[in-house]
Amino acid sequence: MLHTPQVWGQREGGAVTFTAEQDRIHGAYTRATNRWGMVTLFVGFLLATSLPFILYVTTGIHPTIGQIVTAFVAVAAVYGAFYVLEPITYFPILGPAGMYQAFMIGNISNKLLPSAIVAQSTIKAVPGTRKAAYSSTAAICGAALVHVASMLILVGIFGTVIVSITPPAITEVARLYILPSILGGVLVQLIATLKQVRATVIAIAVALLIVLVVVPHSPKIVSSFATALAVFVTVGLTWAFRSRGGKPDETGDSALIN
Amino acid sequence: MIDDAAARHAIFAARNSDNIGSIANMPILWILAVAVFAVIIVQSVIYFVAVKRNAAGADMSQAEVNRSFRAGAVAAIGPSLAVVLVSIALLPLFGTPPVLVRVGLIGSAATEVASASIAAGTMGAQLGDASYTQDVFLVALFAMSLSGAGWMLGTLILTPVLTKGSDKLSRVNPALMAIVPSSALLAAFATLTVTEIPKSMVHIAALLASAAAMAVCLSIAKAFSVSWLREWALGIAIVAGLGCAYVAHSAGLGAA
Repeated sequence: MLHTPQVWGQREGGAVTFTAEQDRIHGAYTRATNRWGMVTLFVGFLLATSLPFILYVTTGIHPTIGQIVTAFVAVAAVYGAFYVLEPITYFPILGPAGMYQAFMIGNISNKLLPSAIVAQSTIKAVPGTRKAAYSSTAAICGAALVHVASMLILVGIFGTVIVSITPPAITEVARLYILPSILGGVLVQLIATLKQVRATVIAIAVALLIVLVVVPHSPKIVSSFATALAVFVTVGLTWAFRSRGGKPDETGDSALIN
Repeated sequence: MIDDAAARHAIFAARNSDNIGSIANMPILWILAVAVFAVIIVQSVIYFVAVKRNAAGADMSQAEVNRSFRAGAVAAIGPSLAVVLVSIALLPLFGTPPVLVRVGLIGSAATEVASASIAAGTMGAQLGDASYTQDVFLVALFAMSLSGAGWMLGTLILTPVLTKGSDKLSRVNPALMAIVPSSALLAAFATLTVTEIPKSMVHIAALLASAAAMAVCLSIAKAFSVSWLREWALGIAIVAGLGCAYVAHSAGLGAA
């Protein structure tokens, strides 16, 4: 929610004052975390983005540039706004140091922020103070360790074993029906988390209309951008029918997805 | 519905022609996945050393630094296992190294599946069925990776700007910005969900079982303040959806 307190120490807690020496030490901390945060995130960006290019170069699989660009444009039409909106929205909560951690690891709202808040309450640091910011950073380091260990051991090693010992019939069912099995739950969770009745009704009505009415009666190209079209129409209608005057809809950080 | 023999034939044909696993598990991709996790570890070590070394600057004791680290690690166990459960379910679609890189880094399982599904759609294909060829797999991987790069570039570019202008930022009206991401998100997931409905009765069964399991989990979590259930809810919903799909598929309701 928007009421999530700042945890990165921009505001110094009222009663607490720091000595010049402490400010100097804090300055060293800020410079170190900003510089190395940026460097490590950039390296992570290069490694992660190189994955499909490596496959393109080392295998005989060569989809056309046009196919790749079209697919990316379709995905960016849905998520492009988040490339900008998520960093802006999380910045007041995470601060510069936390930004480089959070956008490296992902799972911000379901893993990293809960960890930071649990840690702050454990040492009774007041959110918004310098101490809370340090506590948050240490907590995300701990969460990152668990994240890496769980992914490498349980997915990297055991995951392969689990898939390899699973009977083909079950693997086929998982492969064929994983998408509806995820989407049903995610949609319900999203609706429950956002608590935006108006936007939810509009989104579902628009989706039904576009997928079941517009797409079957349109040229094939339309189906490619069905999701982007639904997003565009829904955003427009939600904005047009927003509550004017009074309080804005209850929204906020929960809309963020990584 | 389509008869079972035809469905099975299509599945086996798909398995023979679209061998995703052979390219998705190449050794170089494993090296890349391990390198990605090494970068996360290096960053965490640098940050933790920075906190330990400069803790005095925030009136923080070394014991408090260690307790914060431990609390963060423990709090992350539940969510991490839930993410693991979802990631394992994605292995047949994308192979292990791509799943590790995509979900292990900035992506979340739901975002990656949605992106891949949209990307496959632009080629007239669907994830997991006979139309999911190696070409489609690579295009989907490009789309997921470039989209993830968008988030990281956004952060790399915006963080220094926001650091300088954070005071000005607080004056920006958050109401407008709040409408766009949440309604875009609802629209995207509503559309992706509705797209599953016409595929087959099994798809509908999986959708409904997953949605029902999620609703039950969230209700219990709310009624009895079981916060861990919120983190586990999606994993449970996926198991429910796939379990229901298995029964329905075995009963011959599927379309391949």
